[in-house]
Amino acid sequence: MGVTILTQFALENKTGPQTVEVLSKRICALGAVQQGHFLVDCETYTSVPQLGHQRTVHVLHNSEQPATVFSLLDNGTKITALATDGLFDLLMMKMSQFYTSKKQTKAESKGLRYEIGDFYVKLGTVTVSSNYKGILVEVEYRPCVVPAMCWDLLKEFLQGFLGLTAPTNPPTYLQNRMQEVYTPIDTIHQYLEHFTMFRKSPGIYRN
Amino acid sequence: MERDIEQLNAALNAIKVLRSNVRSVFESVSNGLRADHGDEGKETKFIYELQELLTTVNNNLRDVENAVANLTPQAGPFSLGNTTYLSQETTQERQALYGQLVNSYKWTDKIREYSAVAGNILAANSFNKTYKTYSTAKRRKTTTSNHNVAPEVIENLISSIDRLFPDVTFTPNRPLVPNPIIQVSLGRVLKAIIAFKGLMIEWVVVKAHAESNDLWTESRYRVFKRITENCHAAMCHFHSPLMPELAVRSFMHWFHSYITLFSAPCKRCGNHLNSNLPPTWRDFRSLEPYHEECK
Ligand SMILES: [Zn+2]
Repeated sequence: MGVTILTQFALENKTGPQTVEVLSKRICALGAVQQGHFLVDCETYTSVPQLGHQRTVHVLHNSEQPATVFSLLDNGTKITALATDGLFDLLMMKMSQFYTSKKQTKAESKGLRYEIGDFYVKLGTVTVSSNYKGILVEVEYRPCVVPAMCWDLLKEFLQGFLGLTAPTNPPTYLQNRMQEVYTPIDTIHQYLEHFTMFRKSPGIYRN
Repeated sequence: MERDIEQLNAALNAIKVLRSNVRSVFESVSNGLRADHGDEGKETKFIYELQELLTTVNNNLRDVENAVANLTPQAGPFSLGNTTYLSQETTQERQALYGQLVNSYKWTDKIREYSAVAGNILAANSFNKTYKTYSTAKRRKTTTSNHNVAPEVIENLISSIDRLFPDVTFTPNRPLVPNPIIQVSLGRVLKAIIAFKGLMIEWVVVKAHAESNDLWTESRYRVFKRITENCHAAMCHFHSPLMPELAVRSFMHWFHSYITLFSAPCKRCGNHLNSNLPPTWRDFRSLEPYHEECK
């Protein structure tokens, strides 16, 4: 598991599938090989009023770690992250009386996964309750585990195929964790950040 | 041997030519008179054609006979050794064994050929790992052995280098052995597994921290594979039979420069990436980072 950067991407006057096609052409021209599919999904549950102070649980799955369920408990001031095995999903079903999910907020990003040198690139189409919201590009540099060490390198890579719209600063979530060892849960945090933005956006979200 | 095979090939070729020309005789005979023989004197034309073809066949036959006469017959029966018993194999799946056997024979034969060539080239550019002098005058001088050193000496060397670089962690194996294999962690960037032969560095593998400490499997990442190759080059470059400790020290000093592997841009082109790799080369003297293509 290497350092991963997640960023939104949009092109003027282009639909989602068109944007993905442009990007996949660019990345293949750089020598990438397509390697299967990926899917990251997120379901959000909120505590019922009887439990007192409202808390939110975000449950996420990442096809990269298929045997793990990630959950982020948000009590308004602090987010607690938890990585568990698949049984957690069943546990959430048992707790449906205390934590209810709003079905129309189920968010997911799915698409094709590419390998290029030591990088993984994933071009994801984001939908919130099946409505198209935008494109998320995930780039992972597998050999390096400390964001501060390889941020410049990743920035250069991103600029290489996203052009001028590539991010110039690390994702907000990573900014005060640049010196720490990167773990899969950090990717989950980044996805949640973007999913939350997409859910709030009325239509198609643009940078 | 070489000549025999050449002649055998020539003979086989001659037979091939003969067969093909005999075939055209029969083709011509079976076709009989054709439109392109015209109207006038078509029979004579046809006979001429046949005659010409038969002369060619005659010539070809002579060639075959000559070629066969040149061959030197094998003295005695042709021995296949134990492989003859393979012909008595009755189970279906084993019948293919002979073909595989022949292939592996060819393969080993090629290896022998290549290694002989490689041996010659290496002998011409001699690179000795042991310090030897062949002149009788110097022979009496005792030279310190690099191979056969007390484990404590190596341990001392390693711990002295360890003190030199605070951001490098050395993990020697215990109990002490004459030829230790140590793990060297370069910050959070990478680790190397280094095998010593006495005071000499014998083998280096560079890997990611999450990968196994096995000496024989290479890293799954391209960047570390490249650095492994470069470490091999460096281990030969710094090698010095007279000052083995200095050699290890210089190697470690050079190796330490990889601490900036992911963060330092290439000294020449100023970029981080070239063909999706960071600068994987470090100059032996200046220790500056370069891409493989920029050095
Ligand atoms: Zn360069």
